[in-house]
Amino acid sequence: MVHNLKRYWRLYKVLIKQFLKVVMQSKVDFLMGLLGFFLTQATGIIFLYLIFQQIPTLQGWTLDQLIFIYGFAQIPRGIDHLLTDNIWLVAWRMVVNGQFDRYMLRPMNVFFQVIAEKLQPDALGEILIGSILVIISVQKGVAAITPVSVLLFVVSMLAGALIYTSIKLFFASFALWIKQSGPLLQVAYEMAEFAKYPTEIYHKGIQFIITWVIPFAFVAYLPASFFLGKTGAGVIGIECVIALVFWCVAYGVFNYGLKFYESAGN
Amino acid sequence: MKKILRTYLPFVANEVKTQLAYRGAFYLWAFISLFSSFISYFLWMAIYGSSESGVIGNLTQNEMVVYIFMVYITSSLVSISVSTWVGYDVVEGRVAMNLIKPIDYRASLIAQALGDMLYHLVVPSVFIWIGIEIYKVFVLGMPVISLPTLILYICSVLMSFLLYVLFDFCFGMLAFFTTYIFGLRMAKSALLSFLTGQLIPISLFPEVAQRIFDCLPFSSMIYTPVMIYLGKYTGAELAWAMGRQFVWVLLLYWGGSLIWKQVTKRLVVLGG
Repeated sequence: MVHNLKRYWRLYKVLIKQFLKVVMQSKVDFLMGLLGFFLTQATGIIFLYLIFQQIPTLQGWTLDQLIFIYGFAQIPRGIDHLLTDNIWLVAWRMVVNGQFDRYMLRPMNVFFQVIAEKLQPDALGEILIGSILVIISVQKGVAAITPVSVLLFVVSMLAGALIYTSIKLFFASFALWIKQSGPLLQVAYEMAEFAKYPTEIYHKGIQFIITWVIPFAFVAYLPASFFLGKTGAGVIGIECVIALVFWCVAYGVFNYGLKFYESAGN
Repeated sequence: MKKILRTYLPFVANEVKTQLAYRGAFYLWAFISLFSSFISYFLWMAIYGSSESGVIGNLTQNEMVVYIFMVYITSSLVSISVSTWVGYDVVEGRVAMNLIKPIDYRASLIAQALGDMLYHLVVPSVFIWIGIEIYKVFVLGMPVISLPTLILYICSVLMSFLLYVLFDFCFGMLAFFTTYIFGLRMAKSALLSFLTGQLIPISLFPEVAQRIFDCLPFSSMIYTPVMIYLGKYTGAELAWAMGRQFVWVLLLYWGGSLIWKQVTKRLVVLGG
C-alpha cells in the first residue's frame, strides 16, 4: 500500500513537471487567462458594492459579510479547478473521440490518470481573488481568527473542493455510458452560481436543491455563515460528511461505468 | 441592392440551417443564462425587500423584473459572437480563402450573424417574451406593451445587433495577433456584462461613471433598447438615445474597415 502510494506520488510529479513545461512556454496565455478570471470576479464585487449604495443591509447581511461569502466560495472552486480540470474533457470529448482508451490500457488507477494529466493554472486567479476578499473582509472584523477557526477554515476549504470534484466526477461518469455528458455537467456546475449569495433569498425549492441534491450551499454559504457567527460549528461536520458521501457515490459510479466502457473507436 | 441580397442571403439561410442541425449547444447556453436571470431575479427581490424607498435607480420593483428578463431576450438577440468565427477562420487558415472570393468577409459574417439572430428570435425569445407579457399583465398588474413602443424597441434592437456585431468583428481581429483568445474573451464578456447594463442597470452607477458610459458604445447595446421597452425614454431623450446608436453603428463600421485593411496588409498565410 505504502509502496503503491509512493509510486503514484512519483508518477504525479513526473506528469505535472511535463505539464508545467507546456505552461511556461505560453506565459502570455496564462496571464490573459488570469486577467479574464480577475475581471469576472471584480464585476461581481462591484455589483455588490453598487447595490449596497442603495440599501443598508440585505436581509440582515452587511456588505463585508457578503464579500466574505463571495470570496469564501471562490477558494474551494479554485482548488478543484486547479487539480481536476481534466474531468471536463472526459465529459465533453475524450470518450467520444476515443482518447479515453489509453487510460484503460495502462496499469494504473484510471481516475488518477485523468487528474494527473493536467493542472489548470487559470484557477490560481480564483484562489488568489478568493483569498484576497476573505482577508479584506476578515480585517474589517466580520470573523474572529482563532487557532480553531483557522483549522476549520482549512478543513472546510478541502471538503468544499472535494464536493466540487465529486459533483464533476459524478456527472462526467455518465459519458462512459452515453459518450458525452458535457451538457449535464455544465448545467450542474452552473448551479454553484446560486451559492455565492445567502440561500435564504431563493425560493424554497431552489434552496432544497442546492442544499441536498447538488449541495453547493455546503461549499460556500453554509460553512461561511459559521465563520460569520451565524450558525454552530456542526455545519462544518455536516459539510465533511456530505463531501465523503458524495465522493464515495461519484467514485463508485465512475468505477462502475468503467466496466461498461466501450471504445467509440479512434 | 438586389445583387447584395442575392450574394449574402445564402449566408443567412445557411446559418439558420446550421443552428437547426446543432441546436443542442444553443439550448444549453440559453438554459444556463436563464439560470443567471433567475439568480438576479431573486437577488433583486431581496434587495427591494431590504430597501425603504421602493425605487432603485429609477426603476420600481415591477419594472426591475421586466428589466431582468428583457435583458435576457435582448442579449440573446444581440450578442452574437462573430469574433469566435473569426478566431476559427484564422486558426484554420480559411481566412485566405475568404480573401480570394469576390465577397466582403465582414458582410458575410454579418449575414451569418443575422441568421443566428433570426433563429434566437424564435427559440426561445418570442416564447419568453410572451411569458413576460402575460406575467406583467396578470401578476404585476402593468399595462400590456403598446404597439409604438414595441416597434421602437425592435428598431433599437436591430441597431444594437449591428453595433454588437461590428464591435465584435473589431475584437475578433485580435485573433490575428494571439492564438489564445479564450482569456481575452472572458475579459471581454466580463467587461461587457457591466458596460452594457446586462448585470446591473446603468442608472445605478454613480453620476461620473454614467457620464463616462455615455461616451462609450456599450450602453447602446443592451441598456438602451431595454429602457425603450420600459418606456423610460420619451421625446428628445428617445431621439437622442436612438441617434447615438445610429452614430455608433456608423463609427464602428468605419473603424472596422480601417482595421481590416491594416490587418490584411500584414497578413501572411501559412497554407490553409
